[in-house]
Amino acid sequence: MSTEPALMTLTSVAQAIAQKKFSSREVTQSCLDRIAQWQPSLNAFMAIEADAALAAADAADADLAKGNNRGVLHGVPLAHKDMYYDAGKVVTCGSQIRRDFVATTTATSLQRLKDAGTVRLGSLQMSEFAYGPTGHNAHFGPVHNPWDIACVTGGSSSGSGSAVAARLTFAALGSDTGGSIRMPAHFCGVTGLKTTVGRISRAGAMPLSQSLDTVGPLARSVEDCALLLGLMAGADPEDPTAITGPVPDYAAATTGSIKGLTIGVPSAFYVDDLDSEVAGILEATVAVLKREGATIVQVELPDQRQLTAACQLVLAVEAAAFHKRWMIERPQDYGAQVLMRLQNGLAVPGVSYLEAVRWRGPALSAHLAATSGVDAVIAPVAPVAAPTIAESDVGNSPDAEAVIQRLTRFTRPINYLGLPSLAIPSGFTRAGLPVAMQLIGRSFDEAMLLRIGAAFQRVTDFHDRAPKLA
Amino acid sequence: MTKPAPKEISAMAAVAGLPVSAEVATRISNSIGPAFEGFAAVAGTLPFDLEPATFVVVQTGKVSK
Repeated sequence: MSTEPALMTLTSVAQAIAQKKFSSREVTQSCLDRIAQWQPSLNAFMAIEADAALAAADAADADLAKGNNRGVLHGVPLAHKDMYYDAGKVVTCGSQIRRDFVATTTATSLQRLKDAGTVRLGSLQMSEFAYGPTGHNAHFGPVHNPWDIACVTGGSSSGSGSAVAARLTFAALGSDTGGSIRMPAHFCGVTGLKTTVGRISRAGAMPLSQSLDTVGPLARSVEDCALLLGLMAGADPEDPTAITGPVPDYAAATTGSIKGLTIGVPSAFYVDDLDSEVAGILEATVAVLKREGATIVQVELPDQRQLTAACQLVLAVEAAAFHKRWMIERPQDYGAQVLMRLQNGLAVPGVSYLEAVRWRGPALSAHLAATSGVDAVIAPVAPVAAPTIAESDVGNSPDAEAVIQRLTRFTRPINYLGLPSLAIPSGFTRAGLPVAMQLIGRSFDEAMLLRIGAAFQRVTDFHDRAPKLA
Repeated sequence: MTKPAPKEISAMAAVAGLPVSAEVATRISNSIGPAFEGFAAVAGTLPFDLEPATFVVVQTGKVSK
């Protein structure tokens, strides 16, 4: 066991606290020490609540001493993307407009983690209103990548990716509307799970697009993601779009072998115009899965460019509709790029928007038919590793949308189809930047992705590597 | 389906209660234009009875390998 508790995984630290090998205070202090060291370089936290966290940790320790274990995450300190409402707390959503907004309710996903015993460390930075794929933020500054602080983290869950990678929090909630969990997972070298639309309640999570928004974790391992998913998934009277029915045993899924499974590699689109190092890592990842007993086949997917286009039409309109009042009353309080992107929604006629919404069913049906012979599809999360903050700072340049589209090329089709996708650290470039692959599954079959991802992580160590403070 | 021209965008934005300058309308047209072009092959081809809820039906259907 590591002598620095903050370096442990979520699963192992939760067990260590439950078995009284570490107190919650020791673990929380360990995270706070690392936050103090790293925050000036990373800007990953929106708020650090050290005193309150230590007081909550002491309360957790006192409870445990009395035999009162609140749940499987008893006394584990966590921080989350600052868009999950937490009653009585300021939730900025990464924005000037909500800089002082105090939530009056608590997000269902967050409440379920609290019910499992977690301690709040503070809140994590994010792209303004979760509308940006790089990690830039006009109001709070960019979040930096712990593997190279000159590089972006990816967004919009920028603080979540950076803080989990630097071992400042054991895991963090992110959200994924166009790639916002998978991009930071890829650029920062952590495991990220974009869940099926409807798998986890969105009640109390800041909305961006009601058709596309998903809640999910970023963590240090597939096992940790499975633990968090199991706690958060399930029906919620506050969100009728969350599906009913039993929640699968996701932890059990991570113990399965992949012998006999079939994994598809797309014949086009996801393998086109890849950076050569990303292409090499894709090939090496496929070789590992094959060695572990999976059968690898090529799959021909329907036209992914059409899915991307449809995704863009839906997202543009729904985001503009959510923000319309503030666009009228407070346009000056938006960052220039975010306002510019929100204005795009004004140009989409209602009929075009509804066509894009109506096509989702047939498009998903076509995808399921094309992948009927495989258990999952593997593809890169992005064609390149993390670019620098400077080179991707497009601001409100006319080219901004084109740059955003290039970065999110491999994530948006999956959002449009509402499918689950697990980003797993799969290698490093020669410059030392992490690269992740995404496993794309069938609707509500997160268990299959966790099974494959865990098998990969049992025989690789990319997810275990931690960046060093320069 | 063709991308909306800046003049059309100006009119739509005004109707939405968010008037934009000619420069912004041109920028929006160039920014959202590729989405219209990418979706052009689908637009206008969907069957009459296709409900948006079909997505949920497909999503929750039992699909096996």
